[in-house]
Amino acid sequence: MIRKIFAALSLFVVLGSCTKDFEQINVDPTKPAEVPLAYILGQTQLMIAGSAGDPGYHTWRANFCYSMPIAQQFSTLGTFYAGDKYLYQPDLSEAYFITAYPNAVKNLVNLIELGKDKPEEINTVSVARILKAFQFSIITDLYGDVPYFEAGRGYYDRVFQPKYDEQQAIYMDLLKELDEAGDAITDAQPFPSAADFVYKGEASSWKAFANTLMLRLAMRLAKADPGAAQSWAAKAIGKGVMSSNVQTFAIIHDGSTVNSANANSYNLGPYGTEAGRKEVVKGDIQWSKVLIDMMKARNDPRLPIIATLNDPASKAPNYVDGDNSAANAKGLPNGLDGNRLKALTGETTAEKYSRPRGVIFNADDPNMFLTHAEARFRTAEAIARGWASGDAAAEYSAGQEAAIEQMEGYKPDNPATDDQIDDYLAANLYPNGSLDANLVQIENEMFILTASTLNGYEGWASIRRTGLPAITPTNYPGNQTGGTLPRRLRLPGSEAGINPNYKIAIDRQGKDDFLTRVWWDK
Amino acid sequence: MRKLPLLAAFLCLLLISNSSFSQNIRVSGTVLTSAGEPVNGATVAVKGTSQATFTTEDGKFSLSAKPGAVLIISYVGYATQEVNASREGMRITLSADTKGLDEVVITALGIKKEKKALGYSVTEVKGDELTQARSVNVANSLAGKVAGLNITGTSTGPGGSSRITIRGNGSIDGNNQPLIVVDGIPLNNDNLGSVGMWGGVDNGDGISSLNPDEIESVSVLKGGTAAALYGSRASNGAILVTTKGGLKGKGIGVEINSNYVVESLLLPEFKDYQYEYGIGSNGLVAANQGDQGSSWGPKLDGSNVTQYDGVGRPYVAQRDNLKKFYRPGGNFTNSIAFSGGGEKLVYRLSMSDLNSRSIMPGTSLKRDNLALNLNGTLSKKLSFLANVKYIKEKNRNRPRISDSPGNANYALYVLPTSLNVDVMKDIKYNDLGNEREWSNNPYVQNPWYAVEDFSTLDTKERVIASFEPKFNFTDWLYVKGRFGFDKFNYRYRGITPTGAAFQIGGGLDVKLRDFQETNNEVLIGFDKDLTGSFHLNALAGGNMMKRVYNNEDYNGGPFNIPYFYDISNIDPAKRGLSYVYSENRINSLYASVDLSFNDYLYLNVTGRNDWFSALNPESNSIFYPSVGISFIPTEAFQMPEVFNYLKVRGAWAQVGGGADPYRLNLNYTLSGNHLGAPVAQINQSEIPNSQLRPFVSTSSEIGIEAKMFNNRLNLDFAIYSRVTTKDIVGASISQTTGYGTAVFNVGELSNKGVELLLSYKLIDTKNFSWEPSVNFGYNKNEVVSLTEGLTRIQKDEPRSRTAYVYQEVGESFSQLLGNGFARNDKGQIIVNAQGFPVVENLVRFGTGISPLTGGISNTFRYKGVSLSVLIDGRFGGKVFSGTNSLAYGNGLHAQTVAGGVREDGVLLPNSVNEDNSPNTTVLTAQAYYSYLNTNMGEEFIYKSDFVKLRQVILDFAIPSRVYAKTPFKGVSISLVGRNLLILKKYIPNVDPESTYNNTNAQGLEFASFPPTRTVGVNLNLKF
Repeated sequence: MIRKIFAALSLFVVLGSCTKDFEQINVDPTKPAEVPLAYILGQTQLMIAGSAGDPGYHTWRANFCYSMPIAQQFSTLGTFYAGDKYLYQPDLSEAYFITAYPNAVKNLVNLIELGKDKPEEINTVSVARILKAFQFSIITDLYGDVPYFEAGRGYYDRVFQPKYDEQQAIYMDLLKELDEAGDAITDAQPFPSAADFVYKGEASSWKAFANTLMLRLAMRLAKADPGAAQSWAAKAIGKGVMSSNVQTFAIIHDGSTVNSANANSYNLGPYGTEAGRKEVVKGDIQWSKVLIDMMKARNDPRLPIIATLNDPASKAPNYVDGDNSAANAKGLPNGLDGNRLKALTGETTAEKYSRPRGVIFNADDPNMFLTHAEARFRTAEAIARGWASGDAAAEYSAGQEAAIEQMEGYKPDNPATDDQIDDYLAANLYPNGSLDANLVQIENEMFILTASTLNGYEGWASIRRTGLPAITPTNYPGNQTGGTLPRRLRLPGSEAGINPNYKIAIDRQGKDDFLTRVWWDK
Repeated sequence: MRKLPLLAAFLCLLLISNSSFSQNIRVSGTVLTSAGEPVNGATVAVKGTSQATFTTEDGKFSLSAKPGAVLIISYVGYATQEVNASREGMRITLSADTKGLDEVVITALGIKKEKKALGYSVTEVKGDELTQARSVNVANSLAGKVAGLNITGTSTGPGGSSRITIRGNGSIDGNNQPLIVVDGIPLNNDNLGSVGMWGGVDNGDGISSLNPDEIESVSVLKGGTAAALYGSRASNGAILVTTKGGLKGKGIGVEINSNYVVESLLLPEFKDYQYEYGIGSNGLVAANQGDQGSSWGPKLDGSNVTQYDGVGRPYVAQRDNLKKFYRPGGNFTNSIAFSGGGEKLVYRLSMSDLNSRSIMPGTSLKRDNLALNLNGTLSKKLSFLANVKYIKEKNRNRPRISDSPGNANYALYVLPTSLNVDVMKDIKYNDLGNEREWSNNPYVQNPWYAVEDFSTLDTKERVIASFEPKFNFTDWLYVKGRFGFDKFNYRYRGITPTGAAFQIGGGLDVKLRDFQETNNEVLIGFDKDLTGSFHLNALAGGNMMKRVYNNEDYNGGPFNIPYFYDISNIDPAKRGLSYVYSENRINSLYASVDLSFNDYLYLNVTGRNDWFSALNPESNSIFYPSVGISFIPTEAFQMPEVFNYLKVRGAWAQVGGGADPYRLNLNYTLSGNHLGAPVAQINQSEIPNSQLRPFVSTSSEIGIEAKMFNNRLNLDFAIYSRVTTKDIVGASISQTTGYGTAVFNVGELSNKGVELLLSYKLIDTKNFSWEPSVNFGYNKNEVVSLTEGLTRIQKDEPRSRTAYVYQEVGESFSQLLGNGFARNDKGQIIVNAQGFPVVENLVRFGTGISPLTGGISNTFRYKGVSLSVLIDGRFGGKVFSGTNSLAYGNGLHAQTVAGGVREDGVLLPNSVNEDNSPNTTVLTAQAYYSYLNTNMGEEFIYKSDFVKLRQVILDFAIPSRVYAKTPFKGVSISLVGRNLLILKKYIPNVDPESTYNNTNAQGLEFASFPPTRTVGVNLNLKF
């Protein structure tokens, strides 16, 4: 009997101590502990483009709902696109911030950390550093002071409350990163060609992109720190910015899956066949009067490519493309609602106004974030400011030509002909006048360029820096700015509670509202 | 392979069991009350052995015993008797328990113990209290009945989950719900789909599947000591559900129960909405669909106004939209049970069928329960208990709550004043047959489209089985095994229809969940009088727990052929597929020693060691002890006469706890490929922590129980404290870290509280009695510390993101913080240059969890009729109402017209500009109230206090002489009502109990399912 009891008791001990395989049991069999760094590099490009994860979450909210209507490129009668009327919608305003950090920033920081000491990963890491700089340039342009140096390092440094860095310091580091990372790309090591969804392995184009982004960021400092702007612009131009449309920084999509599709197609339009938010075909979004009038006045051959009226036989929410002739194009004034439009024109809907044409937001369209044309325009500006040598007018014309020609990336059925381009160039010459007069024309081109590539991030930033084109702010009842142009987006309210550094940043930068200007806009 | 030795040992035991038999005699008899009524279910045990039986319907029992054996006859509410087992045909008359000494309750591991021996608080609720005025989720039926037990059902209608806490919340972030044990087998109570700020569906939990008709009793083990033997998962206490067993008897006993209740809206109208101004914007009738969303239009004047379908209709208020949309609901439950058996085997087989028709059109629930309980006595030494339960649930179109799409409730909360929901039924499609959008927001459907075109179907099949062999080596030494599992398969299919405005091609979402938890346990027990005065009861055992989830999801859209909803109808490139596997194990050893002295002093000591697979292998084990003492002065000394019974108890216990698996290391998600290249990203949104180790929860309690004044007064009082240290917390951190949360062992959380149960028989005559009873629990909760440098962590946020739920050092659990009005030192509201109130970040509004809960019941009995009325309430908590916030934004709230603001605008009284000069800016009502909706949390913080008439039962116990000549052995009918009235509340338009999930972030309400009232009848027949 006693022996039986002991036998049973010894069973317990066996039971309890059978924990040798516990460590193995606690490894998730469905998730690899390591992946090739190129896999991460590929995914981060899709994250920046907005197609990975929740498709178009932040690009819709930050770009289409705020940046483009604030810049008066898009226009809407509704209040949903809060930027049109300077209204505050927390989830729209914070979307870029809360999406960029846990996606592209986290994965890029991780990639760089894992690859930084591996010579054979030097190109992957360098491309990641350039992408990271690009990602942060949008974040800081939208919000101002944001966590940068400690950002995305929660796993490595266990810093749970990253410090908010001054935008000036961020900009200086972005410029330094672009300089170093561009230089670090080398033929001596393998290049992650398959995971390069921008240049398909053309390493030299990454250098050109790094330099062009350097130029963009340098020019951004023109107001706040002209000295730095000048030296960095000169450096960028000296190192060599983009020289052809092939080098335009555009994420390439094939549209085969949600993740592989251009996120703009999901937001504006039907993605693929019939999923997506279809904001355009519902009639919620129009081109602004400012843009259409400007393009008409300039006889811009891009107008029939990007804008169309609805086919009169079609109805909301399934409008189909109709008359896209430039002559009949009509832009909707910003800051109106149905009743205000009614008071103005007698119309109650915007169905007779031009809106984006399907061809520029197809699922397999490239997502152009920084174009060769911009490289030319910014070079022209640098020359105009005396920060670089060269022929500003030639740069300007090259930019115009590049901007029109690159629309072919959207595979339009009506690409601009050479004659049209020539006419356009001839009719819209570089003034070669005062700096102000020159800038007006450069910024008009930038305005059309960023609108036609659906790049409101850059469109709004340019307007904030230069005040050009001189758009008239709207003053809708209940707006948050008292009828002046918003200067930044508001941070997520949650940051105030989670991160004590938020308060330091706000105390330094100014109130967390639409009116506070970011450093380079001061 | 590890199971093999166990099995071998068990087979050995089987062999041994045949070896010893001695001559026994047959003993049988009847157990009666002093009134001569037979006692059904009294325990008849042979003293000094584990042999026992229950009496049948007619009070009869029969067993074999050694000549001269002593029988112990016990029954709740009656004094236990000991008689010599002499012969057949004994008559034993029980007298009502005058001392309350011998009440037997079920404690950890299913061990029945005399209540007087316990050093901790246990409250038992009998099954019939759960069946009369039943709730579809049995947990909700416990509300208001047990001091210290706090139950919140999510406001999602039948089939939803509930949040159960005992003595407050012990973990900052982890599970705070008690372990649910059904017949010895832990029940997975995971919420299979919880609702967050973006909306969703509550897909129920484990306890919601139980059939109340099967339940014999529910034992609520409150303290840590009570749960110490169940280990880590019972660190929040345990709820032991014991199902009914068979009864020996002639023939087959049959019990039939039918319950039918009708369900209707408790709040059929938004009392605090405005009905003066209609659809539109800035005081004008909507010019186009984009302005159709809100009620900022002109005064409703009956004029002909074009609505969103282009048809003109009178511009008048629609007050009855809720009544027009929701339909009468009802639940119909039928159950039947057979029981019987002989010497060797007793059985009970029960079947139950529940059909619930929701007040939400198109929503229904069907649940079938089948249970078999076998109790076998194979020999004098070998016995067993076996239980099998099969549950099948089918839910059609579970209501979506919180944010849209597909949430019909949401649409009703925001429907403009002048839209008639009946009209919307006929115009839900546009000319193309697609959803016709009624407003500028495609995510808020026409409610008819939401319930008729969107659809979900989920089914859950579950088997819970246990087998418990027991072998008695001697009459004081036994070994017992318990082998059991809880297994379910869950299948969910959700369809976004072809033509849905926000996703015109439609979509499919399928989730398959396969869960299994097995527990294998062996224990050795010892039960012996040591001397005349001392009695020792000890046991030692071990348990192996393995818990596995297999989750497969597939989804996609659009459908190639419209309206044909199958995955094959979706382009393979547009399908998503994912598979998640999770495995968790806990191995345990434990021991318990009960020592009693002269029936008035009891000592219980336990110890347990757990090993967790999910924690850092270097520190994955924890040992935790407990001790409890009970002393009965009324037994030990001569006490004043007013005391019929007095017990003083005290207990101290520690419980350790673990975590979910896979939280130690970083890994990656492979996300398919792009342009032929594979892509991947970090899997976690939580920063993993390789150093995770067990947390510790330490609890202590003291209490007294008393019966006084000839047993008319009944008192049970407890003071407790519970401190959790090294808690495993997944804290929300700044997204700028790259992660949403980080997990660490941090901090300390303390709960202190009191519980009181007091009842008094005010009148107790032969024909009439009146017994009021009060129970309440007060729990003071404090987050004592977090990790270094961290004073608060965010737990959740509502859709509006104007208020947040935090855990904050020095404050109680689940604090609501958010945007408040900035004020100067004189308390005046400060406005900015545009005239809008300046927002002050993170103003503290109070806790989302009410510290004080309680219930008052009154039971009246007149001859055979009894009436019981339960009123319960909750006090001291706050709630952020997203619904009221939205009603401001949409111009629906009564506040948005009060004081003529629609005409005159809003000039905030006593407000100042930022330079302290008086504010003179007049804002339009639309601008001001829309601003409050998107910017200000403070305006929408309400007290969540309530007092409700929770339950009324009118019970007719039909005297047996009425049906003496029929086959019936018992007939009872009761009229029942639940959630009859809200007697007091502070939050406008919604139920203060509305909460959209059962997570640790309590205090958020948004577009919930409306509260309902149920009234019906319960019929119970035995024959």
